[in-house]
Amino acid sequence: MATQALTTTVRRQGRALAGTGGRTAALFLVPFFAVFAIAMIAPVIYSLVLSFHSQQKSGLGFGEAKTVFVGLENYVQVFQSETFVEGIARLGLYCLIYIPCMVGGAVVFALLLDATVAKARKLFQLLVFLPHAVPGVIAALIWAYLYTPGISPLVQALQGGGIQINFLDAHMVLPSIVNIGVWEWTGYNVIILFTALQAVPREILEAARVDGAGEIRAAISIKFPLILPALSVIMLFTIIGTLQLFTEPSIISKATASVTSTWVPNLWAYDAAFIRHNLNQAAAASIIIAGLAAVLSLAVTRLSSRMNKS
Amino acid sequence: MKRRHLFAGVAGLAASTLLLAACGTGPTPAAAPTPTEDPSGSITFWSSLAGMDKVAEAFNASQDKIKVSFETIPNGANGGYAKLSTAITAGNGPDVATIEYPQLPQFVSNSQVVPLDGLINKAETVDKLTDETKALVQFGEKTYALPYDAAPMLMWYRQDMLAKAGVEIPKTWDEFEQAGKKLKAVAPDSYLASFNPNEVAASAGLAWQAGAKWFGTEGDSWKVGVNDEATQKVASYWQKLIDQKIVKVSQAYSDEWSLDLANSNVVGVLGANWSATGIQKRTEASGQKGQWIAAELPTWGNESGAFYGGSSFNVTKSSKNPAAAAKFVEFLTTSQEAIKARGNTGSAFLAFPGLTPVAQKAYDASYFGNDIYEVFNQAYGTITPGWQWGPNWDITNTALKDAYGKLTTGGTIHDAVDTAQDATVASLKQAGLSVKE
Repeated sequence: MATQALTTTVRRQGRALAGTGGRTAALFLVPFFAVFAIAMIAPVIYSLVLSFHSQQKSGLGFGEAKTVFVGLENYVQVFQSETFVEGIARLGLYCLIYIPCMVGGAVVFALLLDATVAKARKLFQLLVFLPHAVPGVIAALIWAYLYTPGISPLVQALQGGGIQINFLDAHMVLPSIVNIGVWEWTGYNVIILFTALQAVPREILEAARVDGAGEIRAAISIKFPLILPALSVIMLFTIIGTLQLFTEPSIISKATASVTSTWVPNLWAYDAAFIRHNLNQAAAASIIIAGLAAVLSLAVTRLSSRMNKS
Repeated sequence: MKRRHLFAGVAGLAASTLLLAACGTGPTPAAAPTPTEDPSGSITFWSSLAGMDKVAEAFNASQDKIKVSFETIPNGANGGYAKLSTAITAGNGPDVATIEYPQLPQFVSNSQVVPLDGLINKAETVDKLTDETKALVQFGEKTYALPYDAAPMLMWYRQDMLAKAGVEIPKTWDEFEQAGKKLKAVAPDSYLASFNPNEVAASAGLAWQAGAKWFGTEGDSWKVGVNDEATQKVASYWQKLIDQKIVKVSQAYSDEWSLDLANSNVVGVLGANWSATGIQKRTEASGQKGQWIAAELPTWGNESGAFYGGSSFNVTKSSKNPAAAAKFVEFLTTSQEAIKARGNTGSAFLAFPGLTPVAQKAYDASYFGNDIYEVFNQAYGTITPGWQWGPNWDITNTALKDAYGKLTTGGTIHDAVDTAQDATVASLKQAGLSVKE
């Protein structure tokens, strides 16, 4: 009886709070949604509109262009473009190498960090995070320098050791760019996972220890499953981030012809909009990339919620 | 959970479309160009060329009716045209812009620059130009720009390395190949020149010299010949040079390229008059003073040449004061004062008669081992007539550059020009243009 009465009052209070809080919350949310609408929703709608139209000229093309509704034609043209499809395939390959390396690395680092003694922990945390403090463009420029044969101390050192390697040739350039991404993002994700590890209840770990689990066993069977939700957030951000791969290849393309100006879908879209002056195709390509991001993030969240339930 | 992935989706969508948001505003119609006898007012001028700030200052000092404010923008390879084109479309572009010849037709075709007829004094400007330079700025009887430089394509060599190989300056492409082989015999690690996949305009120049016509008009249709017979000949020839390691495939202006010049890995540069400062900057510290010489391009038998690069000045559609802008364009392209003001910034070779001697006087060419301006003059006299740039050069530029990316994995220049031809034709047709292959 007593508990029942308690729950009803709590419920009632909750409802009352929600009643007054709704208005306050709305007030607080207005600025966000105003900016969100102007900076996010409006451009998306504008891009959608652009992607269904085309600038059509006639004859020699000297003269005003007409804007025509063309339905899905831009999308068809984008998918028919060999370079765009190659870019998608390349991006897929990039994900296949990048995600396991980066996320796997982050998990291992975070678990190691969690297992070290408190003093060293702060230092390692800083060291691991440091690469992320370097802005992406600068990192890419520095790596481009480190990869260029003839100037790079790295290539020279390897040559001294008898290893002939050209990081920028057509076969190596993809792993080379993956390496930049891993270098840049592992530390950032280590921090997220490490924070999740800090939240693991110590009594569970103590119980595991009492049951005879060593550090490794505890890491695999106790800690890892408990940080899975954090891991799924990381996966989500990583996938969205990867689809937008742009900075690194666009910097590296200045150093080698192996990275073309349409190397990944985002570069393709940029080139379409600002170099080839076809905003409509660029819009269609962007919508395709965004759609891909939406589908993939949906898949990841579905998968992780299923994993969390089981 | 539902809401979260909705957000994630929208965030992804928004981020990748954000790129496009910058170019939203529709075109604002500019005031109809009305020729005024004595224009006045303030105008803006964008350029990526070095020393143009000084030219604007000199113009401001020379009169007090028109005030020019100058702004440096990145060059084409670094997004200069993207910036210019978007700004003009959005209605906040400069009054006067700098556009290179290959890109000019697409700005004309997009109505982003205005015809200068009626704004400029034709008799004192256009009429004094040679036919080859006029052809670069006139479309359909109208003049859309005044040409600044006329850049003859050239070869630059290290004369000490040629001497070491025991060869004279190659007169024909055949001799060029022989020279490369002889160089290999005495210096196995050296290349006679580099082939630059990121410099598609250089490929165009080589084809132009050989008599190719990548673009032309036939009635109301474009004729595209990026893989025409002359180009095929040039493609096979350069492929042969690459296969024999006579030329090295590398990105122009990259660190690798610079280092190759500095340490004598590459002993020649396919360039133009404007290459001088770049070569000097990269090789001066390696003690190569007096070793670099300019030479006319090797030929296919008879005297021939091409332009490689070069810029024009234009009045944009977003100009609110086209009359004043045109006045400044006249000053930029025809006045000796403008050339003097630029000072020792580069080995300019100018389209308007009588200006080049001024530029020559301002430029310190003592780094070079021969009279480079003499060579420029010679080369300028041999330009193969009949070349025209297409309605959207950057389609071809991107397609060819991308296809060159396969050169290191078994692709050939032949395949590349074929790919570029198909891509150019397809893209032009997509834009509704009439194309004949």
